[in-house]
Amino acid sequence: MSRLVIGPFNRVEGDLEVTLEAADGRVASAQVTAPLFRGFEQILIGRAPLDALVIAPRICGICSISQSVAAARALGQALGVTPPPNGALVADLLLAVENAADHLTHFALFFMPDFARSDYAGRPWHAEAARRFAATAGQSAREAMAARARLLHVVGLLAGKWPHSLTLQPGGVAKSVDLGERVRLGQIVADFRRYLERNLFGGSLESLTALDSFVALEQWGERHGDSDLALFLRLSRDLSLDSQGRGVGRFLSYGGITGRAGLWCDGRVAPLDLAGLREDVSHGWMQGGALHPAQGQTRPDADKPMAYSWSKAPRLDGLSCEVGALARQAVSGHPLIADVLACGGWQGSVHDRVVARLLELAQLVIAMEGMIAALSGEGAYCREHGVPGRAEGAGLTEAARGALGHWLRIEDGVIAGYQIVAPTTWNFSPRDADGNPGPLEQALEGTLLEPGASPPLMVQHIVRSFDPCMSCTVH
Amino acid sequence: MKDSMLNAIETRLGLSRRSFMQFCAAMAATMGLPKGADAQIAHALVSAKRPPVIWLHFQECTGCTESMLRAEHPTLEKLILDIISLDYHETLFAAAGHQAEAARRASMAANKGKYLLVVEGAIPTKDNGVYCKVGGQTALEMVHECAADAAAIIAIGSCASWGGMPSTSPNPTGATGAPVILKDKAVVTIPGCPPNPYNFLSTVVHYLTFGKLPEVDAKGRPKFAYSRLIHENCERRPHFDAGRFAQEFGDEGHRQGYCLYKLGCKGPETYANCPSILFGDVGSGSWPVGTGHPCIGCTEQGIGFQKPIHELAELKYVLPPVGYPRIVEEQGQGMSAGSAALVAGVGGLAVGAGAVMARNLGKNKKPDDTDFGKE
Repeated sequence: MSRLVIGPFNRVEGDLEVTLEAADGRVASAQVTAPLFRGFEQILIGRAPLDALVIAPRICGICSISQSVAAARALGQALGVTPPPNGALVADLLLAVENAADHLTHFALFFMPDFARSDYAGRPWHAEAARRFAATAGQSAREAMAARARLLHVVGLLAGKWPHSLTLQPGGVAKSVDLGERVRLGQIVADFRRYLERNLFGGSLESLTALDSFVALEQWGERHGDSDLALFLRLSRDLSLDSQGRGVGRFLSYGGITGRAGLWCDGRVAPLDLAGLREDVSHGWMQGGALHPAQGQTRPDADKPMAYSWSKAPRLDGLSCEVGALARQAVSGHPLIADVLACGGWQGSVHDRVVARLLELAQLVIAMEGMIAALSGEGAYCREHGVPGRAEGAGLTEAARGALGHWLRIEDGVIAGYQIVAPTTWNFSPRDADGNPGPLEQALEGTLLEPGASPPLMVQHIVRSFDPCMSCTVH
Repeated sequence: MKDSMLNAIETRLGLSRRSFMQFCAAMAATMGLPKGADAQIAHALVSAKRPPVIWLHFQECTGCTESMLRAEHPTLEKLILDIISLDYHETLFAAAGHQAEAARRASMAANKGKYLLVVEGAIPTKDNGVYCKVGGQTALEMVHECAADAAAIIAIGSCASWGGMPSTSPNPTGATGAPVILKDKAVVTIPGCPPNPYNFLSTVVHYLTFGKLPEVDAKGRPKFAYSRLIHENCERRPHFDAGRFAQEFGDEGHRQGYCLYKLGCKGPETYANCPSILFGDVGSGSWPVGTGHPCIGCTEQGIGFQKPIHELAELKYVLPPVGYPRIVEEQGQGMSAGSAALVAGVGGLAVGAGAVMARNLGKNKKPDDTDFGKE
């Protein structure tokens, strides 16, 4: 048995350490550590309820709109107000833009640069990977950043700035959209579509989203050999990424822009019931027991024995779940993802996570176009509301990285409880009281530790395939 | 400037020379530098040796880096590659784990006394700093180690500048800004959540061009960016002066684009250049107040994230007028004897002339629904 500590983990959002126990050249067990704690849930206590709109989203500078959506929905439920149709459309559009920008950033800046490393020199695809994705220098990475910056103009127009945009309210949005702005929004999204079709996919979004099997996807890669997607499919085949990083096989989604809510297991979707949700703190530096987030507490204890992370461990009916684009696509039953999952024994893999994300990128752009067309010059963008002295609310949404929930309790006119369960809290959770590992910890088990690059490259691919956001995980 | 140098910049930055010169001029304008400074900047960017940069992430959300990544003229990655030499950055770096730490230490040793240190995120001080560790080292240890031989230090964002969001009450981790931790060092702060990327870029460009950091105020903030209240340059200011306010999100005043002071806008007590520099490169109105949300004072310690959003701002020195002009003059009500006297008095007119005017005003028809506004 030997022990390997990997940290700091670069090109993930925030701070991460991974400790591996190795035996016979493979990972015997893994521990995932979130080494940063800020105490947002404590800071929120005693504040004016609407201040959550400013405080809670600041846990994360890469999915702040998702956090704003969750906070606004939790407040909306507590206050008994929902946005008018135009307000809901603008909120959805902002969320879709952020999710798309995050997917692209992950692919171009965080995930693909690993394949440009000299450790892979000699592989038939390496020169191409280096040309396109070498960290901070690759051609495709640059084009992706330019396209992303242009897409985020949508947020500039509708919400002033990004990250930490301020427009979202429980009753809608602070910005109404006039005809000229609608035309500009349409042009921005059209530019983004052009980039995706020319560079990333090499073909139309509609034909990509119409793919329905693993084989059809491979054929796409051969037909559009000059695209970034084709490069990924080539190297994925060569490295057998479809058999790496097998997950827990339980996928949870709250239903995002492109899908529905549910729990997927062994190819079947069950309706989602969050009554059995608990945040276990047995291996986190936290006091207390496993509680539902509506009753949850955050009491840090840095000296707790056996603990190894600031992260809590969310479990649904005692079981860990994987969340993210793959989970959304599985629950929504997209034929391509259903087939890809079936080929991999219903567990998911590095390959599947990346494919699901790219597929969703195409779906999101099609959805954005529909939203902009549906915006109307007539009608309100925001409804007025009061603030009750006592109320509760839950705000559920899907960030790029997966299921995100905020649970809020108002007493005596101020916030008495606020708990956030973020996507990477699910995926990168530590062990629970029964000793069951979190999804990443399980996905790393059994990974072959090839001599050479340190930290082992396959471990890095598996970790990054989840697109972790550590800032969200612990807040 | 020589053609050969501009040709070089075209290939290096992938920018047309026109875009490059525009960027230099914009930087000069942002910093309020005199005519000719743009040429100096261009010259420095083309010829100066790229300073090595160590970029540390502590208690943060990566939002500052994210907002830099969306700046376009030029993009951060162009800046990284071609203007500065980024030797350590957790989010963007190729290496992982101890390799990255080794690269950081190697760069610090090789560039002793010459590198630029950028700090993103607050530094927790409670319980010996256990709340933030990088590679087994606390943020507190790491920032001292990296600051010791830095040529200059820039704190980017409110967290690094004064503690930011995590430092607000009850400050569970003892989060603190870099200037307080590095008491014996000069730290330039670029507060904001996130800050405007161009304020950071301008500061770096100033350092490259003139070999020193720009002039700062008592809080370490560059004067070019933080010497004016938001309220002074706000496009909604005329509505404030006229007494036209939004009272609730989505009400008539809000839809009309009126002043957001009564929604708790902190513009009257917050120093920053947001309304003039804007965000997101999309033109007018692209900043929080422009899109209908009150300023939350994110640059200011004690205001940002601390004062409730809906609490009224303390008016520093821009006070509302004692009386407001009327928004809609009722037409044809005639002039009361009192107001006629006032008009006459104010105008310094003779009593007779005033009387004539009053009589003329009185001739206006009384409006009704059918002819209102026609006259």
